Amino acid sequence: MNDMTLTREQREARLEGMGCKRKRVEDIRFTQGKGQYVDDVKLPGMLHGDFVRSPYPHARIKSISTEKALKVPGVLAVLTAETLKTVNLAWMPTLAGDVQMVLADGKVLFQNQEVAFVVATDRYAADDGINAVEVEYEQLAVLVDPFKAMDADAPVLREDIKDKTDGAHGPRKHYNHIFEWTVGDKDLTDAAFRKAEVTIKEMISYHRTHPSPLETCQCLCAFDKVKGELTIYGTFQAPHVIRTVVSLIAKLPEQKIHVIAPDIGGGFGNKVGAYPGYICAAVASIVTGKPVKWVEDRIENLTATSFARDYHMTTEIAATKEGKVTGLRVHVLADHGAFDACADPSKWPAGFFNIVTGSYDFPVAHLAVDGVYTNKAPGGVAYRCSFRVTEAAYCIERAMDILARKLGMDPAELRLKNFVRPEQFPYHSALGWEYDSGDYHTAMKKALESVKYAELRKEQAAKREAFRRGETREIMGIGISFFTEIVGAGPSKNCDILGIAMFDSCEIRLHPTGSGIARVGTKSQGQGHETTWAQIIASEIGIPADDIMVEEGNTDTAPYGLGTYGSRSTPVAGAAIAMAARKIKAKAQMIAAYKLEVHEDDLEWDIDGFRVKGLPEKFLGMKDICWIAYNAPPPGLEPGLEAVSYYDPPNMTYPFGAYICVMDIDVDTGVYKVRRFYALDDCGTRINPMIIEGQVHGGLTEAFAIAMGQEIRYDEAGNVMTGSFMDFFLPTAVETPHWETDFTVTPSPHHPIGAKGVGESPNVGGVPCFSNAVNDAYSFLGATHIQMPHDFWRNWKAAKELGAV
Amino acid sequence: MDMNGQERIEAPVAIVWAALNDPEVLKRCIPGCETLEKRSDTEMAATVTLRVGPVKASFNGEVQLINLNPPHSYTIQGEGKGGIAGFAKGGADVSLTEDGPQATLLAYTVKAEVGGKIAQLGARLIDSTSRKLAGQFFANFGKELAGQEIKA
Repeated sequence: MNDMTLTREQREARLEGMGCKRKRVEDIRFTQGKGQYVDDVKLPGMLHGDFVRSPYPHARIKSISTEKALKVPGVLAVLTAETLKTVNLAWMPTLAGDVQMVLADGKVLFQNQEVAFVVATDRYAADDGINAVEVEYEQLAVLVDPFKAMDADAPVLREDIKDKTDGAHGPRKHYNHIFEWTVGDKDLTDAAFRKAEVTIKEMISYHRTHPSPLETCQCLCAFDKVKGELTIYGTFQAPHVIRTVVSLIAKLPEQKIHVIAPDIGGGFGNKVGAYPGYICAAVASIVTGKPVKWVEDRIENLTATSFARDYHMTTEIAATKEGKVTGLRVHVLADHGAFDACADPSKWPAGFFNIVTGSYDFPVAHLAVDGVYTNKAPGGVAYRCSFRVTEAAYCIERAMDILARKLGMDPAELRLKNFVRPEQFPYHSALGWEYDSGDYHTAMKKALESVKYAELRKEQAAKREAFRRGETREIMGIGISFFTEIVGAGPSKNCDILGIAMFDSCEIRLHPTGSGIARVGTKSQGQGHETTWAQIIASEIGIPADDIMVEEGNTDTAPYGLGTYGSRSTPVAGAAIAMAARKIKAKAQMIAAYKLEVHEDDLEWDIDGFRVKGLPEKFLGMKDICWIAYNAPPPGLEPGLEAVSYYDPPNMTYPFGAYICVMDIDVDTGVYKVRRFYALDDCGTRINPMIIEGQVHGGLTEAFAIAMGQEIRYDEAGNVMTGSFMDFFLPTAVETPHWETDFTVTPSPHHPIGAKGVGESPNVGGVPCFSNAVNDAYSFLGATHIQMPHDFWRNWKAAKELGAV
Repeated sequence: MDMNGQERIEAPVAIVWAALNDPEVLKRCIPGCETLEKRSDTEMAATVTLRVGPVKASFNGEVQLINLNPPHSYTIQGEGKGGIAGFAKGGADVSLTEDGPQATLLAYTVKAEVGGKIAQLGARLIDSTSRKLAGQFFANFGKELAGQEIKA
């Protein structure tokens, strides 16, 4: 192809680089049913494992008899804690510094806890085997309410550590206490409250829910006895971390462990952690010498692998009469379930919850988080958000609305009055973060103008009058949220997982004919990395995105990276990709200088090649440079054109956005209709606007689910009441509102391409926006704060309690 | 789970009372009952296979009769274990009142607690299944006693 025959625009367009709405290349296989997921991998002689699970939330195990199960045709082995003890794997370390039972050892601590692992020739035989395992339980008192966890007479849950006065994150105050984490200046904050003209205080709960990806957690473990090698196919958001953890706990050399994450059908945080299923399948494969597959069913996914949220946040704001905030004080009671299996960077027991000052310029703040054990499933993963960031955003955004109401101020006006101002960036928050960049006022004003906010408030006032006159039974709510996220974990100075620094990586190898492969340490679960990573490379080094193959998920070939969660892929791996590409470009420039017979400094980059400054006809394209790099490199320069970059980010990135929701609720039925939802996101440089829009749609849909009905609910006896999609709200196209998306662009100053990450912003901003809309609707009837989720029944109940029904 | 109701049975109180204490009659009338043995005048052991939504399980249970006030009322209480399917425990207050010489009003108040997989299916399935089972029991019981009346 002769580049000179194309216009600059055509050459630019051909690259499909950053900013291009490039169609997702992975969709070619996904839309044809040709994706290759873990359950599609079938190995010769493969066995199937499945769990005997506890019907009791808290019970002592008096005996387990596997005798009858082993007689069931097709059943080959039954693992129990006793079996696992022989290989020292009855317990495993969690990412949060706790330990967790792999199989119940002496007692069970939550309903559906793994008690025994039945291995059989097929799933049906395994199920028959499960029914034949006899377990004798002695029921114990159950602890469901986290507010009672530290009562003097609360049942002792963790007998293994009941006398331990120090946990992984400092002193423990009670046998059911996990940690206390405090940030900020308590004295200054208390002083601000003493001086405050106006204060608010509210207990704001963010209920327990679950990421519930359509593909559940699963793995296939194959141990080769001859080579002593273990191959694990699994639904892993972080395959390298899994390999290192397996190596450390199973004492297998890391080079003999091959972890492969094939296509993944959604993760949303659920697939970050290590689960008993992985350990049991691996041990079963070692025991039987055959590949063993473990695939969770839906009930198991919802009730046993990592939940999200369950934060109970007592929030106080101090302010002046004019509405200037002067202090923030938050106490969180965090329900972690039976084991602390939070998937946070190890030094952050409550994740990055200290982003709770949000987008506002709080001069002082203090935060304390108490984590407690209860008889519920372990977890606490970042469900489509950075670590505990959605909890923080919900907390501050609800609290700002409550303050606005107390002050009699418009919630938009209160926010505008307290935003961090553009000239304050990089901004140091009272709870210790350095916000990289932002222009909150511009984003908020654009959002308010786009929805014609003033007119909406007028309409609402008129509707309220009509409601009071008895002319309508419908009430109107306008929800506003303005969130600041903190993503891109993270800088090695403050982020690690079990000591592994949270860098990420990219290796690019260009081929002689001008195409290439990029291998990245992240792992797409639907985010479209195969599309967007190639776009970054296309823009950086002028090779069309279509000519770059992107590969992730195989620990033997991909460079070491910490995986995909917490919107870290673009902030961290996206930077590594750009840096690796720039290394290639630097070598390409040396080659071009030699071939064009000029000094390197006399060259300038021009879309897809180098041009001699002032001599436009002297040009060498990247495609030609690739061939030369291999076959005729300059003397003294080694052949080839490839580069690796490991990127340790200097800071997190801070995407933000302004969301507005308009909702109508029928007070007699509680039925709501989302009339309008407008989402303005600023994620810095936009790599692929179509993918961003898709991410925003998906994140808003999950935010809608959580705010309006989705929850993992336990009854008083510790039974999970929402163990299937019959009771656990997963919106379909029928329930999902229409989304309007918009954007501003404030690049990150420290990121090589200025990108900030977007996958989780809509969930972080969406949940408070919906909840604020519901609360705003009921506010004229006297409501201050109505707890989520706002399903029809609770809406009706709220109306009834307020005397409107 | 709470459930209560009242059934009119076409038989005199004495016959209804006798039937309520007869393991053979109960075995025939309890839906899914496979075995029911009388251990003493106030204790029985039963195996019942039940299907609640997608979960089918065999429950082994111990049943006791307390607060006996023949032939007017008793409380039946017990606990059944269904392995991985879960468990149920609870009781029912049963009282009989004459409704004319040939009929009896049987009133019952059930309080039960279910746990495990069957509980996870949610209240709507448990409640509707319980009502259906109660309905089946009384249909069977009515037929059983209608036959006895003819014999008598």
